[in-house]
Amino acid sequence: MTSASAPLVAIRALHKSYGPHIQVLKGLDIEMKPGERVVVIGPSGGGKSTLLRVMMGLEKIDSGAVTFGGKPYISSAGPDAKTVIDTEVRRSIGMVFQHYTLFPHLSVIQNLVLAPCKVRGEKKASAMRRAQALLERFGLGAKANAFPAQLSGGQKQRVAIARALMLDPKLMLFDEVTSALDPELVAEVEQVILQLANQNMPMMIVTHDMWFARNIASRVIFCAGGVVVEDGPPEQVLGAPREERTREFIDRVFHIKQ
Amino acid sequence: MSLDFSVLLRFQEALALGLWTTVKLTLICIVLGCSLGFLVGLARTAPNAIVRGIASVYVEFFRGTPVLIQLFWIFFCLPLILGIELSNLASGVIALTLYMGAITSETFRASLKSVGREQMDACIALGLPRRVQVMNVILPLAVLRAVPTLLSNCVSLFKESALVSAVGMADLMFVGQNISNNTARPVEVLTVVALIYFAIAFPLTRAVTLVEGRILKKLAI
Ligand SMILES: Nc1ncnc2c1ncn2[C@@H]1O[C@H](COP(=O)(O)OP(=O)(O)OP(=O)(O)O)[C@@H](O)[C@H]1O
Ligand SMILES: [Mg+2]
Repeated sequence: MTSASAPLVAIRALHKSYGPHIQVLKGLDIEMKPGERVVVIGPSGGGKSTLLRVMMGLEKIDSGAVTFGGKPYISSAGPDAKTVIDTEVRRSIGMVFQHYTLFPHLSVIQNLVLAPCKVRGEKKASAMRRAQALLERFGLGAKANAFPAQLSGGQKQRVAIARALMLDPKLMLFDEVTSALDPELVAEVEQVILQLANQNMPMMIVTHDMWFARNIASRVIFCAGGVVVEDGPPEQVLGAPREERTREFIDRVFHIKQ
Repeated sequence: MSLDFSVLLRFQEALALGLWTTVKLTLICIVLGCSLGFLVGLARTAPNAIVRGIASVYVEFFRGTPVLIQLFWIFFCLPLILGIELSNLASGVIALTLYMGAITSETFRASLKSVGREQMDACIALGLPRRVQVMNVILPLAVLRAVPTLLSNCVSLFKESALVSAVGMADLMFVGQNISNNTARPVEVLTVVALIYFAIAFPLTRAVTLVEGRILKKLAI
């Protein structure tokens, strides 16, 4: 295998349950190449958020392993074994959540510089400069000193994206980042993510927005019942799905959308 | 019965000294008690069951016994057990700090709980080390959310501190009682002492409402 096609992320036989009765991920295998933008779709409760949370290192797993850039990242030998998470690897992954998770007691720019200053020991002045530039790029230059409560939902999500980018992630995870937004605010957030896509930022995106999925995905995974049902280019999975369950889901979601 | 408040003029200085003792004791115990309360509040959410156990025994014990018996115990029993003399102030500080710690730990526990999983997830996703999570996110958020209740806790402490007069500490209450006994004018003296307590406590309770309305709404926390 040449290094160009070596996977950025490799998820192997990933099992995850919440407590003894709720089995959510039942043996997931996903490989993601550098530069890929994977959109994960699937029915509610199918484990999409859980998958992203596991990838972010927020959850224990039952068994399986995740490697990142060829390095072991997450592993567990079995349900009773400890989940081993390499926190150094975790720092190269950024995540934006459905619900705004900005720190409410910090101004926008303080939200952005906290991690670079505290985690990487970056000088305050340099972090502030980078933060201001990033905010300008996202059309938020004037909001640097505002508090999160003073922002619209769309602005908050753009700040959350900027905050994650301050750490120069090698992979970005987006979990339904526009679901909680008023419809008229969705586009401004999606534009920012499309802007990142143009710069070849690898990302994994969970979304119910089919327009967005089509426009951002280089690959689509349909996940249901804790396993990968279908995995392929967007034209296939969204346009002409091979699996019956995928077709049914796409029909239903498109139907609601139109 | 005729009232004569002028008898109090002679005792201005004594009352001021008593008030100063009350205020000093309250302020010291607010600082120490709130710090203790925060740590105990954290301990009550600790992953370690022993740490949690010790913290809740402490809290339940101090919430479940009268402050007066706590004071008496610290004043009279603790020196016997430790085999050292404790000054009045030291005993008062220890007793009221332990009381305040138990009360505020409940306040902090509630506010820590309200720093939800979402904020913690964000901390982890940003790779913040535990120390930074606590100092830069959990502590400020928990404190800000706790401020209104903490202010009420402080007002309670200020009022409860009058109990130290029972063990001979010369606080405002103690001085008031003395003057009242010496002048045989309990109505005038005790009324004025009550008004002094009220004049300090009332603005503080109003401040609670103000803080809730202004600061917390602006930050939406
Ligand atoms: N912390 C938790 N404790 C217990 N069960 C959980 C927890 N988080 C999720 N679950 C359950 O796990 C299952 C998968 O949840 P998950 O959030 O991953 O689904 P999802 O695909 O993201 O769904 P949605 O499209 O609604 O966001 C659901 O049945 C959910 O109720
Ligand atoms: Mg979800």
